[in-house]
Amino acid sequence: MAGVLIAMKLRVLSHSLRGGAQVVPLVLGAVFGLMLALVSLLSGLVEFVRPGAAVDLLSALFAVWLIGWVLGPLVSGGADDTLRAEHFKLLPIPPRGLALGLLAASFVGVPAVVTLLAFSGMVVYGAQLGGLPALVGAVFAVLLLFGVVLLSRVLLGAVGALMSSRRGRDLGIIMVTLLAFSGVAFNYAANTLAPAVIEGRATGLISVLHALPSGWGPVAVRAAAAGNWILVFGLGLGLVALIAVLLALYGKLLTRRTTVAVSSGSGPSRTESRRGALRGLLPDTPIGAVTGKELRLWWRDSRRRMMLITGVIIGVVIIVTPRMSAPESQSGGAGMLPYLALFVVAFCCLQAGNLYGFDGSAFWHTLSVPGAVRADVRGRQLAWLLVIGPLAVLLAVALPLITGSPGALVWMFGLLPVLLGAGSGLVLLMSVFAAFPMPDQRKNSNPLSAGGRPGCARGALQLAMGGLLVLVAVPPAALLIAGTVTDSALLRWLAVPVGLAVGAATSWWWGGLAINRLRARGPELLAEVGKTL
Amino acid sequence: MTEFSGGPELISDGEAPATATALRLSGLYKVFGSTTAVDHVNLEVPSGSFFGLVGPNGAGKTTALSMAVGLLRPDGGRASIFDHDVWTDPTRAKSLIGVLPDGLSVPERLTGRELLTYTGRLHGLPTSVVTQRAQELLSVLELTDAERTMIIDYSAGMRKKIGLAMALLHGPRLLVLDEPFEAVDPVSASTIRTILGRFVESGGAVVLSSHVMALVEQLCTHVAVITQGRVMAAGDVDSVRGQQSLEQAFMHIVGGGTGGGEGLSWLAS
Repeated sequence: MAGVLIAMKLRVLSHSLRGGAQVVPLVLGAVFGLMLALVSLLSGLVEFVRPGAAVDLLSALFAVWLIGWVLGPLVSGGADDTLRAEHFKLLPIPPRGLALGLLAASFVGVPAVVTLLAFSGMVVYGAQLGGLPALVGAVFAVLLLFGVVLLSRVLLGAVGALMSSRRGRDLGIIMVTLLAFSGVAFNYAANTLAPAVIEGRATGLISVLHALPSGWGPVAVRAAAAGNWILVFGLGLGLVALIAVLLALYGKLLTRRTTVAVSSGSGPSRTESRRGALRGLLPDTPIGAVTGKELRLWWRDSRRRMMLITGVIIGVVIIVTPRMSAPESQSGGAGMLPYLALFVVAFCCLQAGNLYGFDGSAFWHTLSVPGAVRADVRGRQLAWLLVIGPLAVLLAVALPLITGSPGALVWMFGLLPVLLGAGSGLVLLMSVFAAFPMPDQRKNSNPLSAGGRPGCARGALQLAMGGLLVLVAVPPAALLIAGTVTDSALLRWLAVPVGLAVGAATSWWWGGLAINRLRARGPELLAEVGKTL
Repeated sequence: MTEFSGGPELISDGEAPATATALRLSGLYKVFGSTTAVDHVNLEVPSGSFFGLVGPNGAGKTTALSMAVGLLRPDGGRASIFDHDVWTDPTRAKSLIGVLPDGLSVPERLTGRELLTYTGRLHGLPTSVVTQRAQELLSVLELTDAERTMIIDYSAGMRKKIGLAMALLHGPRLLVLDEPFEAVDPVSASTIRTILGRFVESGGAVVLSSHVMALVEQLCTHVAVITQGRVMAAGDVDSVRGQQSLEQAFMHIVGGGTGGGEGLSWLAS
């Protein structure tokens, strides 16, 4: 069973390597992961003054890898869906066998290899202490990889299962929110606390790091060197027991997933009759029609809601967590909190940049209506603005006032229009120039599943596109800075009309680029986003 | 805009002359990798005809129809609708056709009525017209019971019916339907047949693809047999089938022996 599934996975991988363009992101992702892994690996070589510092450092690094496995797929939506349990639900295979097989297959691929390399830091560290500690390190590296991959599958499966019912879906989103908060907060903490860890100052954190399963390996290696074999075997058995529990859970989840009917992932199953209200507000034109449709889809499609929510979460996390982990002396002011709206807009733009991918092959309809392309692009821009705008404006006005920094208001008034305008253009640019297919919404109910696109490549693309946003914000930002430096209120407030003008112009310009592209290459986009996954 | 009387208004908005060729494909071809999906197809669908496109799975029917309506860019050749080229004069050409693709999504999280309203307004029809036509189409196609169900929860047959309603809504002159009867129950199929019959009687043209020979034979005035991307036979139904049934003629043209008689000895042992 496992052999067959691994062979299938390898075959899919080799097929995906055949197409020229698809190789690039895969290789980029692999190189990026490899670099991270080498950092972890070589950490095992570093010699510290304080004995035990290496154990603490490795524990911390492995904890970050653990969190990466749990959060990566949740945040990036890049869950590995090459082989799905649903594919095998008609075969007479016991759940445990299927769970083992699918699990074995999920070790085939770049992420698992890279992670094993990173965990081999234990072997390198152990080798400095002797042959046996190195052996212990190797065993724990393999066990830890097993545990981490399994944990990732179980959590993703649990969240996915939760989200296959409508009420559970919102619960699931809240859960993802909490996870993201705890994880990224921890990441920040690890960054700021890394020196403290190495110097042995942050004893509380270190005991937590050691207590996490990811820390058991380094501790065991050190214990082996010290001859404390009871501790080594104890930790080993603990890890094995943990893996056994996760395996049982995974089997249960798969059974559920293959036997319980999935709902269609819709929002309210019965649509409210708010038609009249919506129609009354929107212009009775093709653009109004598209806007109305888009607004409904933003509300009803859980995948779209998910993208917006993660956009907001990332913004909040990036703003709030540095403040939480900053030393007391620096946390006197409001930090970046008054500027949250800017980050929320930027990330909601980047997260939503695959509108045609969300709709899949439904784009045929736009193509077959004469002249609909312009209305489609403008309507989608308007709908995005209507969804993000109110929240952004509310945050932009409320946060500076609440946090007692009204001086930030002029910055918000200057920068928010640029970001909103450019964002509404960029969403369409990304959707048109960097579209990728998503799993068919009629078959797949997990809103976290984004298809086979490697997360790293998408991340790189988002960063590059985010750079465009920064570029467009330069004119008003320059005025604001100049106004602050020269203490000229006139210059500062001049940023507001400039920001409005630049934002409107960019929205118009980039939307126009998207329209031209769709007119010229519409059928090609349909072929791209209409692919079945 | 024409006034409504009784059922849905089927012919109206187009301004094409009744005598023209509704759909003309000339030298159309498309290559995917090493496979030639459509190999220099020439077809003429006269105005007022009910045209059946038949062929085995993978023959290139869907590919040819997608290129004919502007959803897939051909590697060569031309497609024109009432003498408007689909690729150089898409606005005029597309305003004359209604399309029902097979297996493609629509905005899934709209209800049937919302989808029709959206479609009509995207076509630029006045709201009053859209409302009235949507109501008529929903009731004729018996979709009013599912008033508040989203498309994503529709059955396969309901999807076909709402797709047909979308294709009819703007009053096209030519309907291009890919497998319109697949998964449709007999009662609904009969309704659809009647609607399509009225459409053709009043001067419109229908092109449909199907696997079901009996249906094509009963319904269509013209038929083309396509296999491995080529048109093997085309013309009015009587001339294509000759003295035999269309199914026999099809088997003969496609050259497939009836399989299934050999091997598989383990199956019933």
